[in-house]
Amino acid sequence: MGEMLRVEHLKKYFNNPRGLLHAVDDVSFTINKGDTLGVVGESGCGKTTLGRVVIKLLEPTDGKIFFEGRDITNIGKKENIELRKEMQIIFQDPYSSLNPRLHVIDLIADPLKAFRLMGRKAQKERVLELMDMVGLSRRFAYSYPHELDGGRRQRVGVARALALSPKFIVCDEPVSSLDVSIQAQILNTLQDLQEQHQLTYIFVTHDLSVVKHISTDILVMYVGAMVEKCGAKELFKKPLHPYTKGLLAAIPVPNIDYKREKIVLQGELSSPINPKRECRFVNRCPYATDICRQEIPVYEEVLPNHYVSCHHVREINSL
Amino acid sequence: MNLLEIKGLTIHYAMRANTVHAVNNVSLVIEPGQTLGLVGETGAGKTTTARGIMRLIQTPPGKIVSGEILFEGVDLLKISSAEMRSIRGKSISMIFQDPMSALNPILTVGEQIAEVIHLHEKCSKREAEERSREMLEMVGIRPERAGEYPHQFSGGMKQRVVIAIALACSPKLLIADEPTTALDVTIQAQVLDMMRELKDKLNTSMLLITHDLGVVAETCDAVAIMYAGEIVEYGSLERLFHNPKHPYTLGLFGSIPSLDKDTDRLNPIRGLMPDPSALPKGCKFRERCDYACDECRKEEQSLREIEPGHTVRCMRVAGGVLNG
Repeated sequence: MGEMLRVEHLKKYFNNPRGLLHAVDDVSFTINKGDTLGVVGESGCGKTTLGRVVIKLLEPTDGKIFFEGRDITNIGKKENIELRKEMQIIFQDPYSSLNPRLHVIDLIADPLKAFRLMGRKAQKERVLELMDMVGLSRRFAYSYPHELDGGRRQRVGVARALALSPKFIVCDEPVSSLDVSIQAQILNTLQDLQEQHQLTYIFVTHDLSVVKHISTDILVMYVGAMVEKCGAKELFKKPLHPYTKGLLAAIPVPNIDYKREKIVLQGELSSPINPKRECRFVNRCPYATDICRQEIPVYEEVLPNHYVSCHHVREINSL
Repeated sequence: MNLLEIKGLTIHYAMRANTVHAVNNVSLVIEPGQTLGLVGETGAGKTTTARGIMRLIQTPPGKIVSGEILFEGVDLLKISSAEMRSIRGKSISMIFQDPMSALNPILTVGEQIAEVIHLHEKCSKREAEERSREMLEMVGIRPERAGEYPHQFSGGMKQRVVIAIALACSPKLLIADEPTTALDVTIQAQVLDMMRELKDKLNTSMLLITHDLGVVAETCDAVAIMYAGEIVEYGSLERLFHNPKHPYTLGLFGSIPSLDKDTDRLNPIRGLMPDPSALPKGCKFRERCDYACDECRKEEQSLREIEPGHTVRCMRVAGGVLNG
């Protein structure tokens, strides 16, 4: 499969009263067509900002974005709008991302209207077809968002994102606000759609079990920086970075016979504002030494297709 | 003697047009030192049950219609408001889900902890302040921070403060309503770890409300699964996790992407939870259940024991149909 999206040394900084907030700091990766890149991390690690920058909802501060080989980093406003037909996003909160005054049918038709792609009749047909695709009964066509439960609202969000038949979708915590039984329904729908329409996803989430389930590759972020990236199964079998190890050990597993090493990471996330030139994880890392405070670790391929940024990765894992 | 015994608790909310049946005939038991996990999805009635125990149901529109809440043998529903106030925060205390809104933004955290101690322990303000510092230290916050305000703390630290307030008078029962849901997973691990430690140290019993079966597996001794205001399955942690029987419990387990196994597809529960103001007759889960039959429609289901210390509210299990 060919390459869909490539990101090189992407940076996004925000001005903040207290300094420069490094939301995304030097992130690079490639996603192949039909794959899903899961982006995980805790609140404030920059995963949502990353998702927004790669589809150009936010302008990057530095770095390059290539979509199907084309450099889209500095394209004009018109081209940016055209890009919406190819790249879409599903937002986290289905409560605040839908206009409360529009019917479901108009909400889903919105992208079609924006590009004046078809006549009214064809448009309605298309909307109903989209509703079938995402498993939203046609009887809700004239409902308002507040009349729907969270799961159905999120289906409206999915249908909207699919309206223009994009190739690439950023799913920004699409199931985080839903109960587990509903969450599973939506995840299955997203997987089916991916198969049927050969979609490529970036799946942003804080939930590691969800990301393992849905991703081809996983990128772990910590305070704006890349920590580790590899195949989804590999990450869970063989996490190499101390943060990833701690993160995996912290997930409560609903199986009382599942035994594993107990690691409780102490301390809290460091601030992304004017970060020092050191490893971002140094204050919580059990293996930290002087070099970790003096230099930012290099993000390198430690094992085939397994990237880690840690000064001590080889000794910790005896590689 | 059981520390807490709830018998047939029923709580309704009278709305303008209809009545919401939030909690229906719930019975639970907590032994001294035990942690009971109350699990269910949004709207299952978990929080209402907890507030019922604390007698914090807003009336109207809420009303405890029937039932008994026996705490050390005394029915909390029969005592006066003043007596209840002397229990609340002292013998039974509660941790709320959202630490951001549970703290008073214009009082320092030290003052908020001292307030409980001063009120219940009849000690001087000075002494209470002294003890509030000790509490902070116990939950892993430097005592010098007693003079800081809630906004100066991170989410995880705020939840530690809330826990310090709840444990300040060494309660016999701690009700924790989704104490870690708002926290990141590494912070959640820290807080759960600390709660387990303190619980053992102070010999506190706990009612842990959560939607996360993983948290239950790591924290609880017994589990009650709640659906549409009813307990649908109840038993020791081991029995319930090794041998889950109710179709809803099975559905919950099937909905969680597994970390220890590779699954291609999840097995979610179809449909949605019924509207609590218009609950169906018979089994409340039958519309989403793969094993439902005509009998489920007619009969109100009762909790039946399928093995010692493990009860299930499903006639298909008791009838031997569901034995997977």
